[in-house]
Amino acid sequence: MIELKNIYHSYGSEAVLTDLSLQLEAQKIHCLLGSSGSGKTTILRLIAGLEVPQKGMVSNGGITLTGDAEILIPADRRKIGFVFQDLALWPHLSVYKNIAFGLEEQKADRIKEKVFEILHHFDLEEFAGKYPHQLSGGQQQLVAIARSLVLKPDVLLMDEPLANLDVKLKRKMLAHIKKLKQDFNLTMIYVTHDHREAFSIADRVIVLNDGRIEAMGSLDEIKKSENEFVKYFLEY
Amino acid sequence: MGRKLVKQPLFTIVYLSFVLMIVAPIVYTIGTAFFSEKIGVELTQAFQGRTIFLLLKSSLIAAIIAFFSTIIGTFLGFLLYKTKIPFQGFFKVSLLIPLLISPYIFAVAWKDIFLFFFRDSTILPSYLTCILVMIIVFSPLAMLITGSAFMHINKQFEESALMVTSFRKMILKVILPLIKPSLISSFVLIFIFSISEFSVPALFGVKVFTTEIFTQFSAFYNHSMAILQSLLLILICVFLLYAERKHLADLPFLSIGSKGSSSKIYVLKKGEFFSLSFLFLWLSVSMIFPVTILFIQSFKNGVGAFIQAFDLMMPTFIDSIALSFVAALLIVFVGFVAAFSASNKPDLRMGKSFNYLLLFVFAVPSTILGISLIKFYNQPGLEMIYTTYAIILIAFVGKFSFIAAKIIGDALKGYPKSLDEAARIAGATFSIRIRKILIPMILPVLFLAFMVAFIFSLGDLGTSIMLYPPGTELMPIKVFTIMANAPQDLINSMTLIVFLTTLILIIGLYMIAKLMIRKYNCAYD
Repeated sequence: MIELKNIYHSYGSEAVLTDLSLQLEAQKIHCLLGSSGSGKTTILRLIAGLEVPQKGMVSNGGITLTGDAEILIPADRRKIGFVFQDLALWPHLSVYKNIAFGLEEQKADRIKEKVFEILHHFDLEEFAGKYPHQLSGGQQQLVAIARSLVLKPDVLLMDEPLANLDVKLKRKMLAHIKKLKQDFNLTMIYVTHDHREAFSIADRVIVLNDGRIEAMGSLDEIKKSENEFVKYFLEY
Repeated sequence: MGRKLVKQPLFTIVYLSFVLMIVAPIVYTIGTAFFSEKIGVELTQAFQGRTIFLLLKSSLIAAIIAFFSTIIGTFLGFLLYKTKIPFQGFFKVSLLIPLLISPYIFAVAWKDIFLFFFRDSTILPSYLTCILVMIIVFSPLAMLITGSAFMHINKQFEESALMVTSFRKMILKVILPLIKPSLISSFVLIFIFSISEFSVPALFGVKVFTTEIFTQFSAFYNHSMAILQSLLLILICVFLLYAERKHLADLPFLSIGSKGSSSKIYVLKKGEFFSLSFLFLWLSVSMIFPVTILFIQSFKNGVGAFIQAFDLMMPTFIDSIALSFVAALLIVFVGFVAAFSASNKPDLRMGKSFNYLLLFVFAVPSTILGISLIKFYNQPGLEMIYTTYAIILIAFVGKFSFIAAKIIGDALKGYPKSLDEAARIAGATFSIRIRKILIPMILPVLFLAFMVAFIFSLGDLGTSIMLYPPGTELMPIKVFTIMANAPQDLINSMTLIVFLTTLILIIGLYMIAKLMIRKYNCAYD
């Protein structure tokens, strides 16, 4: 279980999260749902270890990752994968090299085998030698996910990864993402501002507003929520 | 990444080396001028009416040059970056050449033009010729800066204006206000380059601040007077650059390729003939005319002068090119360190102060930088620096790292943070992220900075004339020192040889840059 306890985080003088506490069950898909500036990406970055909260604690499976405004376990040792909103595929590296990069850095064995295994899973083998700009939007998305999963993380964080795709492709990708939980035995945290997207893949939804949790629960619980903001946000 | 910076000894070493080897000599020299025994008399003399008048005169000349260069450069920038015009690529490259060739070459050529047509090189007032030559030299800088700004205007701004107003009004009310920061940036940089320029006023016999400082130093050996006099100049330059940096720091300075460009391109219909004529006219004035006259004058008495000039210049080629090459590598390295440290943690004191130090040294006139390094390194135990090219290398690094840092800094601003974070999550250490992710991605920009630093170092006269150790020979110094006593056709031939050498090197570097940029644009499409 991932736990955030009494988190306070600000960018300069602007507080983004104030005394936020949150528990995220393992092997479930959690969606952080909220409008721009609600703090959902910040939560993701805190879990990943890319930001240090000024106050509070972040833990995973009982192990403290961040505490007392200090990173205790750095990003690369958290067994966490991250799919960025802009995908962050390194443009000067081929698909193969993008995926192999992390394995090489972690001095893994059988790198080639592992890369092709993951490429095979996503049906991307034929693109191994291609560069990111030579792929379609959907293929780039899959490469970004493959790159995160090749290191066998326990947790996959996704920051609005489908924001730039058309509706048809988005639907296809959502089905793909939903399957990842079983295929890779993952805990997934998915950030979006689109409640339809959230409801189509999530096991649990957390609705955020101005750095506060407005509602949290299963899809049914969220849909039935009496919270004014949730009602407004979900366009009931 | 920023927090790790302080843990990186390399950054600290570069920063401290820059402070100790370049900034400390300047501060020391300025300090000693104030502690001179005759400080009272010298201060009165340094800031007397004549000096203030000279400063105002130099500022006025620099302002006129900056103003007209910016206007001409903006027009050229618009034609070449915002319109579809025949021979665009050719004009973009060839109109840039005057910026990359030493200004004194154009000064010699224009003297020859007057001599050739009017048998009198002083037919025009020397001030006017000096201003004309410097406008020719610096207009391409304005063209580059404004051209870069034109390329970054979102076409929707223009299209929405075109829905409600005419093309002419859209330019006046939308495009020009949008590129106003670039216009100011161009004006400030050209002003500083012009006011610090030594060779062109010296060749035309125009008395300006830099030539006065040089006279105080070389003719009267009055170091402290030269330094005190230059203080006002340093203050003006630092103030302008600080203002430019403070308000315009986020502007694209020099962009390469067309990455991220969504700017609207206009097809000129009626205006095409006029625009092409203007481009050709400017190319003639800035390149074809001066170079042709240099050729004619060099060979008017046969090939003898050219062969003699070649023999004289021969020993300078290797030294000049090797020195500029090493200088450019060091400049790019220092520029990268400064730009990187400033772009990662804006509140990190070291990064910020490093960039302000680069700005300060850039604003110091070449002559003062030269005097400072001589005074500082002319000490027992430092002969290894003072009597070798090392002292010129140090001066070049001090003088041109600011430009390199600005070019690289722009590229780093456009470098998505997520690319670094993705590598960090994958387990890459700080140095691996720099080596395997950042540097390959900004390689074309690093090369562009190298190219600019190399060309500037190759053509520098203002600093190297003060510093060149005995027995050493560099191209610009050889031409400049021989000028007073040599026959005209020999001077022309030597100037022509320097021009052709620089041109060949520029073309070579340009071809490499083009290949890299093409690859870069492909990777980012």
